[in-house]
Amino acid sequence: MKLKMFTPVVLAAALLALSASACTDPTVAPKSAVTGANIFADPASYQAFLAKIYGGLILTGQRGPDGDRDIAGIDEGFGEYLRLYWYLEEMPTDEAVIGWNDPGLPDLNTGLWGASNSMVNAMYYRVFYQVMLVNEFLRQTTDPVLASRGVSATLTATIHTYRAEARFLRALSYWHGIDLFGNIPLVTELDPLGATPPPQSTRADIYAYAVNELNAITGDLPPNSAATYARATPAAAHMLLAELYLNAGVYTGTPNYAGASAEAALVIGSGYTLAPVFQNNFTADNNTSPELIFVAAQDGNRTQTWGGMTFLVHAGCGGSMSAATYGMDYCWGGYRLKQQAYRLFGAGDGRAAFFWTAGQTDSVISIGNFNNGIAAPKFTNKTSTGGNGSQLGMIDTDFPIFRLAEAYLIYAEAAVRGSGSAAQALTYVNALRTRAYGNATANITAPQLTLQFVQDERLRELLFEAKRRTDLVRFGTFTAPSTYVWAWEGGTAGGTALASFRNLYPLPANEIIANPNLTQNPGY
Amino acid sequence: MSRMNGPRFIIGAMLAVLVTSPLRAQVSTGTIRGHVTDKATQQPLSGVTVTIGARRAQTQADGGYAIAGVPAGTDSLRARIIGYSPSSQSITVAIGQTVDVDFALTAQAVGLSEIVVVGYGEQRAGDITGAVTSVGSDEFNTGRVISPAMLVQSKVAGVQVVDNNEPGGGLSIRIRGATSVNASSEPLYVIDGMPVGNGAGGGLSAGRDPLNFLNPNDIENITVLRDASAAAIYGSNAANGVVLITTRSGGGRAGTQIEYSTSASTSSVTRVPDMLNAAQFSAAVAQYAPTRSALLLNANTNWFGLIDRSATGQEHNLSLASSGSNMSYRVSLGYLNQDGIIRGSNTQRVSLGFNYQQRLLNDRLNLRTNVRGSRAVDQFTPGDVLGNAAAMAPTQPLLDPTSATGYWDWNTTNASPSNPVASLNLASDQGTTFRSIGNVQAEYRLPFLEGLRANLDVGYDVTKADRQTFFPNNLAAQVRQGRGLLALTNNTQANSILETYLEYAPARAYGPGTIDLTGGYSFSQSHAEYPFFRETGLSSNLLGNNGIPVAANVLNTKSVVDYRLISLFGRFNYNISDRYLVALTVRRDGSSRFGPGNQWGTFPSVALAWRLSREPFLRGMTSLSDLKLRGSWARTGNQAFGDYLQYPTYTYSDGQTQVQFGNQFIPTIRPSGVDEGIHWETTSSYDVGVDYGFLNQRFSGSVDWYTKNTKDLIFTVPVAAGTNLANFVTTNIGTMRNRGVELSLSARVIEGRARRLGWTANFTVSHNTNELLSINPSRSVSQILTGNISGGVGNLVEVLQPGAPINSFFVYEQKYANGKPIYSDTALRMYVDRNADGIINDSDRRPFHDPAPKWQLGHSSYVTYGSLDFGFTLRAYLGGYTYNNVASANGAYQNLAGSGMPSNLHASVLTTGFFVPQYYSDYFVESASFLRMDNISVGYTFTYRRQPFRVYATMQNAFTITGYSGVDPTAGLNGIDNNIYPRSRTITGGLSVRF
Repeated sequence: MKLKMFTPVVLAAALLALSASACTDPTVAPKSAVTGANIFADPASYQAFLAKIYGGLILTGQRGPDGDRDIAGIDEGFGEYLRLYWYLEEMPTDEAVIGWNDPGLPDLNTGLWGASNSMVNAMYYRVFYQVMLVNEFLRQTTDPVLASRGVSATLTATIHTYRAEARFLRALSYWHGIDLFGNIPLVTELDPLGATPPPQSTRADIYAYAVNELNAITGDLPPNSAATYARATPAAAHMLLAELYLNAGVYTGTPNYAGASAEAALVIGSGYTLAPVFQNNFTADNNTSPELIFVAAQDGNRTQTWGGMTFLVHAGCGGSMSAATYGMDYCWGGYRLKQQAYRLFGAGDGRAAFFWTAGQTDSVISIGNFNNGIAAPKFTNKTSTGGNGSQLGMIDTDFPIFRLAEAYLIYAEAAVRGSGSAAQALTYVNALRTRAYGNATANITAPQLTLQFVQDERLRELLFEAKRRTDLVRFGTFTAPSTYVWAWEGGTAGGTALASFRNLYPLPANEIIANPNLTQNPGY
Repeated sequence: MSRMNGPRFIIGAMLAVLVTSPLRAQVSTGTIRGHVTDKATQQPLSGVTVTIGARRAQTQADGGYAIAGVPAGTDSLRARIIGYSPSSQSITVAIGQTVDVDFALTAQAVGLSEIVVVGYGEQRAGDITGAVTSVGSDEFNTGRVISPAMLVQSKVAGVQVVDNNEPGGGLSIRIRGATSVNASSEPLYVIDGMPVGNGAGGGLSAGRDPLNFLNPNDIENITVLRDASAAAIYGSNAANGVVLITTRSGGGRAGTQIEYSTSASTSSVTRVPDMLNAAQFSAAVAQYAPTRSALLLNANTNWFGLIDRSATGQEHNLSLASSGSNMSYRVSLGYLNQDGIIRGSNTQRVSLGFNYQQRLLNDRLNLRTNVRGSRAVDQFTPGDVLGNAAAMAPTQPLLDPTSATGYWDWNTTNASPSNPVASLNLASDQGTTFRSIGNVQAEYRLPFLEGLRANLDVGYDVTKADRQTFFPNNLAAQVRQGRGLLALTNNTQANSILETYLEYAPARAYGPGTIDLTGGYSFSQSHAEYPFFRETGLSSNLLGNNGIPVAANVLNTKSVVDYRLISLFGRFNYNISDRYLVALTVRRDGSSRFGPGNQWGTFPSVALAWRLSREPFLRGMTSLSDLKLRGSWARTGNQAFGDYLQYPTYTYSDGQTQVQFGNQFIPTIRPSGVDEGIHWETTSSYDVGVDYGFLNQRFSGSVDWYTKNTKDLIFTVPVAAGTNLANFVTTNIGTMRNRGVELSLSARVIEGRARRLGWTANFTVSHNTNELLSINPSRSVSQILTGNISGGVGNLVEVLQPGAPINSFFVYEQKYANGKPIYSDTALRMYVDRNADGIINDSDRRPFHDPAPKWQLGHSSYVTYGSLDFGFTLRAYLGGYTYNNVASANGAYQNLAGSGMPSNLHASVLTTGFFVPQYYSDYFVESASFLRMDNISVGYTFTYRRQPFRVYATMQNAFTITGYSGVDPTAGLNGIDNNIYPRSRTITGGLSVRF
């Protein structure tokens, strides 16, 4: 054991300490996540980003059916865009009731929601999630930015189409936003990220913005073809314009039924036809229906979610029904018809053919009991030829956001309200009724085509397609002073008219605090 | 050698001769030997450190010690051990002679001169300026102890150890309450000077406590740095306190010592959920779901009885310690095999430890090496077993020879309870964790400056943890959904650390006092890989978890996470005649978890102490043996949360989240919502404390008052819509405060004399209140819901709200009639309309109690009589609340009539009459205050053929007194009792022997 042997050890130790001291940079770059700095080095990223925005309507995150969610503050499956939109458009109306006691649902059954209702809040965040994705996509795809990345001319042209589609999706969400919430912020690609909370805009301003956007992009959208299924086509833009114009009176105080009629006519002239069998719009292979103008596409294997059709198909099944009849694993026992909706269907109406009455009562006495209220499993995971979807748990069926039948009804309503041809309107309505009844026996005559008829016919044709609250608001029958009431409205079994401020949902209570620029809707 | 001078040169030269010429050692040195006893009891004391110069030895079981190779001359011989006053004698050693020196030590409850390990160094207990509690191995909890932290449960004031009842299950520790919302509130663990991360348990595992790799039997001491001034030397990782673990090392007399200990235990279930029996269940079905009555069979199955068991365990530890004149080592081997009280759960551990110390260069260089490794094989009860045992109808039988599995199950496609025993026997869930840590520490007393020491510490921590979960496709629940599941993970983590520091503590005074300066540098980095594979829809069960069959849905992910922390730290201690003590520390940390400009943070602390008992004006009070006032302020940090949060990233979707784009499907990319300016969470702490001792420390203890203010909470909060790419962003927002008092008292109530009765008692009391003060009003929200429960979908029963403790329960106020909750279809009749708007909705829920105990009381007693000893540990937690989720989710008649098959009900339904589940009724928020006899043990120590033997028996969880109606009032930190693993009562018998 010689001292000298250890001197080098000590020296080495000191040297090591010194060399380590030189290391003072703690930066470590991520390896398993792609940063904003290099994601667009891959040209496929542009399409993938646009796909994300489309997917925002039906998917809940980056892992299917769950596990890496987009929005927080709510169960991932509940927080799916269309499921939330469906809840808000259907549950407080005369159409649907759900017996679950999950957070926020009971108050939607009765119409007595507060500003902290988690479903209402999540819908608000979904709307802005879409808007912010679109804004970011538009910022990342301006011509100068593309040029700086050396994007080819071909791809740049394709990206121009993508940009139009993204703007369509933003207009769609803004429509939902102003329809449900009224005055909300208008945020565009010109507003930088992470800045101060945006100011509140008015319903009318956003309406005007959406109309302008749609008019600006219609020509850039891809034409209807097999390659553009589930993408925004010019007809989809016209349909969205028709919806906006139809409700212009609600949004701006000034109706525009002429605009609605004209846009509906443009849609009708776009080459879509009614599916010969009504039910084929709601089957696992409804992508083959010639009637669907714009859908949120689902696929049992590749597009998995707990929202959208997975919810609609499962939750409509319960009681004595067999899940296998609908091509799926099991029933969730969720929504049924309120008696007011059920009683609007006449005998022989094929649109009621799928109703399930065995073991069900007509009236909803107990919300929690699935056997109260007629079950109406409109959507199924069976194909039009009776086969199963690709999986039993996840659903193939696409959600029809816009279909031709509604364009007919918009045209008809506008005509009743004085814009467009009444005779043409009657033809359209009877086309739907002929299909529903299989013959012309239930066709109506011109005097029968009244506003009340349109309101009821929309229920029959568009039941559970997430249109009802908007319709009732437009017809002035959603809240007092209308005396039309339905089961459990206002929290009573027989129904009590809601206060008129409930024509609008509240802005989220948390958002009012987070964004001091916002003024809550009256009544909340 | 030329740098030395005077007498030191002569001694140094002699030592050098000794080291370099062992053959001549005997001519220049002598030997010291003797015995150390307790002055009062005259019992031999083992483990006493006897030191002369740089040589030391530890006494054996018979109190004997021997130090060979002592340089001739006169020097001071010192003996010390925790719990006794140190003693020293001046002795003269002549060349080649043996000197006998005996010590009789006076017991002292708190060893004021005892050396306590603190961060980057050690200090005399009497000189410590912060709130530090050191628990030695003789005070550890005994019995079935698998995880190290359980050793000190209820031993330290202000420290809450929360276990999950599984054998070796994950543990959480809260020191003075939770400081964070979204970052970790777990303390930093430092093992033999090496930080091992600050997630729960510090590190990676297959699913149980990551610290299980460390055999509790190898632990010498656990020191808890409770206040921030003590912990501040660990800077950015210190906000939640620091737990320093010191392992046992070799020592004692020259020669070899072998120690063997073994124990066997048996555990049984104490409580299971209170579900309806078969008769009650049949009656309920007949009344509320009459159409289902025909489905019921007339079995009377106790499902919990079929899944629980009396669990046995055994443990063997063998160690070999040896010490020579310049070196010592200890090798230990441990084996543990413990069953859980729920069938299917088990943990097995093999651990190996090696400790080596070598003194070199005239004792100037001290090398210490610790290497330990372990393999833990964990079996987990399949995840659905406990829930199904509660929910499966008691009227249905266990077996059904006609079914695919041989077990009886509901023949339905709708969601229904399934047979828990089928899952228990056919599914499997297991994991294996290999972990090894090791380090080499070199301490060099520099020759050119007295009192200057250089330290270098290089270490590694490597973990490989795999887990295989397999559910065959023919299990009833799998037939209904999923059709089989195979999930595989194989995570690895490799950490390396280099720390170097200089310490200068000269004997000479600077000004009126002495100084102790420490300054150093630390570099640590971690590389972890988390590959994950999951498939559902299995085509075959035959391979179990050993192969990968074709499957309908396959998910493969892998993430790689790197992390780096670079630090500079310093400490300055100033001691004026042991009366006025000053400690200043500062640490500067740079972390990879933050972006440019935010990477570096500085964490200072100031602590002052005044030992009043050393003042002349108190000298007269002979009964007062210690009185010290302490005051400190410190700022510490917290960065224990996800990596890379500062980078805007894009996440790819998997194959199941593609989007239809015309006639093709496109995987998507998602931009992240990011606050690129995310930075440290900082906690400013104030602590005022008094250490006291009377009658030569017969009664001693401390009182501390503290306030911890955490600001810039790393908090995932909703941000204003339209400002970011996500609705929740992790950012620095909000403030939180913990305030509390801690009190400890240690008393030798009866001082045993000469094998007569002795009784030592320790008491700890702590009170903590937590309040979330603000979530920044200009940018964020008033309420964030948390607390996932089972039942329904997405129900959250807790809230983060300014003015309330974190995770307060957020519920309706139940109305009662005749002492029972009112149930009605009309919510207004059931619940109080707090905002008086005539509507019961979310606006009527309010924060109502919270899970954290407000008062934690601990008491341990240790009684000796002759060779017998008897001890027990009592613990009470008061003021905490638990949400009885088993009752809320299962206590509703709707569960009989839903779309699925009837599910068993919680007995609370007989009281409440709830038809629809009332998840938000405050009826289910129950007081979780309890008093528990954690531990009773009896031991007998005797000598047989001159070898010391000890036999003992311990009963853990002897009884619990609580008003809580569920399985266990300690239902975890979040206070939600949702089919938790039941608590066991364990009886252990053990034996240890030394040769």
